[in-house]
Amino acid sequence: MVVCGIDVGARTAKAVMLVDGDIVAHSIVRTGPESAAAAVAALDRSLETTALRREDIEFTVATGYGRVVVPFAQRNVTEIACHARGNHHFFPGVRTILDMGGQDCKAIRCDETGKVTNFLMNDKCAAGTGRALEVMASLLQVPLDDLGRLSLEASNGLAKISNTCVVFAKSEVLALARQGVPTRDILAALCDGVAERVKGLLRAVGVEEDFVISGGISKNVGVVRRVEQKLGTTSQICFEPQVVGALGAALFARDFLTGGTRRRTGP
Amino acid sequence: MVTAGIDIGHESVTVAILDDNGILGHATFVISGEVGAASTLAFERTLDRLGLARASVHRIFATGMGRETVALADAHRTPMLSHARGAHWWFPGARTVIDVGAEGSRVMRCDAKGYLTDFALNDKCAAGSGVFLETVADMLDVPLADMGGLALSGSRRVVLTSTCAVFAESEIVAEIHRGSSRADILWGVHESLVSKIAAMSRRVGIEPDLVLTGGVARNVGVVQALREQLQMDVAVPEHPEIAGALGAALLARASAGAA
Repeated sequence: MVVCGIDVGARTAKAVMLVDGDIVAHSIVRTGPESAAAAVAALDRSLETTALRREDIEFTVATGYGRVVVPFAQRNVTEIACHARGNHHFFPGVRTILDMGGQDCKAIRCDETGKVTNFLMNDKCAAGTGRALEVMASLLQVPLDDLGRLSLEASNGLAKISNTCVVFAKSEVLALARQGVPTRDILAALCDGVAERVKGLLRAVGVEEDFVISGGISKNVGVVRRVEQKLGTTSQICFEPQVVGALGAALFARDFLTGGTRRRTGP
Repeated sequence: MVTAGIDIGHESVTVAILDDNGILGHATFVISGEVGAASTLAFERTLDRLGLARASVHRIFATGMGRETVALADAHRTPMLSHARGAHWWFPGARTVIDVGAEGSRVMRCDAKGYLTDFALNDKCAAGSGVFLETVADMLDVPLADMGGLALSGSRRVVLTSTCAVFAESEIVAEIHRGSSRADILWGVHESLVSKIAAMSRRVGIEPDLVLTGGVARNVGVVQALREQLQMDVAVPEHPEIAGALGAALLARASAGAA
């Protein structure tokens, strides 16, 4: 049985291919201006690594903010449900999920079956999303992938950034840089700011272990460590945290196909 | 009696000099270097231009975000008090005053004497601030002064749904890719900015007359979008950017009169 999950996010589109329940391929491509084209590109990219063809896919579920424009999907499911489902697949003990992507941040609570029981989402404000760090990385000319690691090398002279708004914080960051504050200290303050926003969201839904982080931000050790410190807990992260939503979608696709007991659940 | 108001903003200092007959003069200077020194220099230059001696100014009030750094001021007043008073001087019927600044916006309610009765403030989010217009001006390569006029020539086709200025930038990029004209995008930008200001205004409650102050009041797109969204006429003073400094000078005169 070949099923596919597609997650079209604000910044990247992801595909996961399941054959008889096993992940055989996954891909991540930039979304670009055309969400539908990005979905197709993600699909083809993941197929490339297998002997499968498009015709072999029996059912496709789309998720993510671009889920309604995926031309080849039979159904779509919200990303909240898909992230809970996907993370639960890797970590059956998960009860709280932080999923942070390029343009939003979700705090999700789920039960022992991976079904969503509560969630909160920030998609209104770039502060506390991956975008804040993207903007700052380009402003400070630091590769996004290095940002978290560098932030942990900060000297103890704490740089302070008082603005929440990313636009206003940019001026503050530039002023700090001009004063000669080391870049890693500024990055530490930025990661701390993101972690603080995230903490607020998580506290509001309540944090119960196991705690799992997914989405692009989980690759940023600077934010992950600080979130753990602020919550006084440790987190689990799967091998490819960016494709968890697509995996959840693929698992729902399998359910739809088999008419199994795991129907679409949650919000 | 001659009084002065000095309004210290993020990027500029505005000085207004007032005597019993009205505004003697005003000037705006870009801040370079230290703010306290910049305000002294701005004040002295304004006096020079008017041929006034320092001793002839009886009282100086500072306002604006940097008001506490003005060493030569006798006292300082909040921007809310100053803008309400300044707007009321031009329009005695003013009961609601909206000031859109680069790094924040404010809505003030005042009574028949120009006394502040209530206000709301946004200095936390760029989406309802003038800086959003500056960013878009940069992106679309349109002079800031021409934006409003160009926006009015646009159709009403582009609607930006983002709450956040950072996310709105991506929406604008998507509109550019889609082939939307600059004018159409600009109208969408103005509507988006004004929707945040209108929402804040509704929270305070709007009572006519409504006066728009601050440099953004010169933007005809903002004025038109505000008119439409609040369904109310919007009065713009002759020199909207000096409302704060003028208000501070008026407050200085009032306090001197009381003393």
